[in-house]
Amino acid sequence: MPEALIVDDSKVMREMEMACLRAIEGVVFTQAASGLEALERLSLKPFDFVVLDLNMPDISGYEVIEFIRGQDKLRALPILVVTTRGDEGSRARAMSAGATRFMTKPFSPESLLGEVRALTAARPGATP
Amino acid sequence: MTSGQSGSQGGGFDSADFVAGFITEAEEHLALANANLLSVEDAAAKGQSTPRQVRELFRSLHTIKGLAAMVGVEPIVEVAHAMESVLREADASAGRLPVGAVELLLNGVRAIEHRVKALEKRQAVPAAPTKLIDALSTLRPSAPRDGAGDGEQTTLAPEIWSKLSGAERSQLVQGLSAGRRGLAFEFIPTPALAAAGLSITAVRERVAERAEIVKVVPRSLPTSERSPGGLAFVLVLLTDGADAALAEVTAATPDAFTPVTLVARHAPAAAPVVEGGAVEDELPEDALRHRGVVRVEITRLDEALERLSALVVTQFRLGRAVAAMRVAGGDVRALAPIVTENGRQLRDLRASIMRARMVSVSELLERIPLIVRGLGRSTGKVARLALETSRAELDKAVAERIFPALVHLVRNAVDHALEPPAERRAAGKPETGLLTISCRELSDSQLELTVSDDGAGVDAAAVARRAGAPIPTTDEALLELLTRPGLSTKEEVSTTSGRGVGMDVVKRIAVDELRGELTMRTKRGQGTTFSLRIPLSITIVDAFSFVCGDETFVVPVAMVEEIQEIDLGLTTRGPDRRRAPRPGGDRRRTARATEMIQRRGQAVPVLRLEEVLGLTSAAEDRSAVESGGGGSARRKAIVVRRHGEAFAFAVDRMLGQQEVVVRPLEDRLVRVHGISGTTDLGDGRPTLVLDLAALGGRLVRDSTGAPPP
Repeated sequence: MPEALIVDDSKVMREMEMACLRAIEGVVFTQAASGLEALERLSLKPFDFVVLDLNMPDISGYEVIEFIRGQDKLRALPILVVTTRGDEGSRARAMSAGATRFMTKPFSPESLLGEVRALTAARPGATP
Repeated sequence: MTSGQSGSQGGGFDSADFVAGFITEAEEHLALANANLLSVEDAAAKGQSTPRQVRELFRSLHTIKGLAAMVGVEPIVEVAHAMESVLREADASAGRLPVGAVELLLNGVRAIEHRVKALEKRQAVPAAPTKLIDALSTLRPSAPRDGAGDGEQTTLAPEIWSKLSGAERSQLVQGLSAGRRGLAFEFIPTPALAAAGLSITAVRERVAERAEIVKVVPRSLPTSERSPGGLAFVLVLLTDGADAALAEVTAATPDAFTPVTLVARHAPAAAPVVEGGAVEDELPEDALRHRGVVRVEITRLDEALERLSALVVTQFRLGRAVAAMRVAGGDVRALAPIVTENGRQLRDLRASIMRARMVSVSELLERIPLIVRGLGRSTGKVARLALETSRAELDKAVAERIFPALVHLVRNAVDHALEPPAERRAAGKPETGLLTISCRELSDSQLELTVSDDGAGVDAAAVARRAGAPIPTTDEALLELLTRPGLSTKEEVSTTSGRGVGMDVVKRIAVDELRGELTMRTKRGQGTTFSLRIPLSITIVDAFSFVCGDETFVVPVAMVEEIQEIDLGLTTRGPDRRRAPRPGGDRRRTARATEMIQRRGQAVPVLRLEEVLGLTSAAEDRSAVESGGGGSARRKAIVVRRHGEAFAFAVDRMLGQQEVVVRPLEDRLVRVHGISGTTDLGDGRPTLVLDLAALGGRLVRDSTGAPPP
């Protein structure tokens, strides 16, 4: 059962993302409403992938990615950045910080699902 | 990397499902944005920058933009995007907004609010205002980042300091310079703490109530028993309180706190003190404090209350059944305390649900600063608003009703009571008028809101002249004149009298609808104070009003199964019965037949309400004549059902249907069976709200001779 961590400070956005990803068989969602909460959850339990917003109240998505990549046990964790910041600068910054994939809002259900499948396909063992 | 317009296509996802959620979140962010913009403006007037507020503003608009894009509301996306761009620039320059930005941003918020409202009402969303967007996009950053904080140094560990943005550094340095204490607090999450509810989110919320959080920085730790997740959070804080209070709420030991100070050359003593000294009070509520808060539609709570009412009725029946058993000689010693306990628990549960409906007074007053600001602009008066709120809370329904009354009072104060600056100067007053709104809890059930101004006071002679009445000698008599409906409709009256617009509305809301009090104190040349005393909670129901025996009553619509025309001359008779006791009395009358009406092929007992309630003798005489079979007696029958059993009440005529505010009878212990409270239908007289089901259930049971359940 793939364990997914959905990180966004907007509840509606998290709900929308989960609605799109329910098609993944057996997926179990955990939600985090801030970057700090995301790090806390990641430190206490293993996840198969993270869907991450960039703009959040306490620490930014970039900082979350940087922190994740700085931790041995999380170095290979697939991270999909989903953001309203569609500019090249944001993409470059997220990717250089260590994001696995990057997509912009608004998204269609198919595109989010496709991104997540691509995200985990590269990773042996995970079969969402 | 595909991105596309979300639509209703796609498995299991329909963006329409999320519109309600979008509206709720957007409204929260817009309210926060308004508050932040006003405090940015205030601070700018004092020459201070507001990095935190600007950051929050940016985030609010960014979130609104993203959500609006997902639900496909392009005009909101456009406005939010334009505002966001201005705010991003400002965030990068330590929170300094370009000249004129606040005004445009407030207009932007209003434009979005307008479109959210349209969405809520399922109307077409207007296109984005192009002029506003052009104006926003031509704003230029006022100054390059001033580098505040860059040159400063604190004792904060370098690996933490390096994680702070320029804006956060200047926020910390500014705070320390103003004499506040800096702290670095380390929180290490563990599964045990998480299980006890102490997550970083909870800790952050609790700390935010007692200190200003500058930044939370995550830090890697070696995995150990103490830090099983290999993670620590360092909260960088500014506070005026004691460490002990922070330690207590976060279950931390004192060694989790490290003081943060400026390096010697910028000792706090040498630093300028921030004007007013009440920095903390002026900061808008931290957005994050709303975490852990669930917003629910009020109707859902009402639904829960309704279910609970049914439960209360069942409990009441249980109590009666136990009492009946006792009378019959049964041993109920074990049962009685359980019934009592059950009753208490239900009351507690009711109180909990009622609490969930409460909103804070500060939330109620959230929009007032914006209104005062707008009024100041349109009237050319200079007004300062002082809000003195407490932690008092009141029912959402009361808040919604009293708000327009408050707005009326505020508008009157600025429009009419406060003098223009020149006039004030001539009178030896400061040019800036002062408007104070304060709030005080009078008891567990009453709240007092006062709106005071230091304006011209009410001109009693002018008011009397216009009202065509003698000059009132007391404030009470003057208020009476001011709240006369005829008086307040004339605009020119108010401009000469200084008061009057909509005062009848204020009185109607506060006194007639909410059953509160409105008082006024005024002194010529010195100002006026209006006080609204209102209940903290009310119950609203949709109800039918009707007349019976010269009296008006209401019954909740939910209780009524049907209303039909009947002819009491054509009823059939059931078996004889004893007449039931009247509410509040134990007088019994002689036996009489039960009348029945035909309803869809079934005989339904019909009770004459005036008899049940023991109304005037005139009504009794009339009904005696009618039941004597003397001709036609067309009346209305209100059909209700209880425990699956239908019965009807004959009443004289129906008046209409409306939402009414139900006030419970003063003393719950001496509740009258069948009466759930009183209401006001606008005539200023109390009208009884009947619980016909309860009333009829008892009577029908008595009439059919069935034993109590």
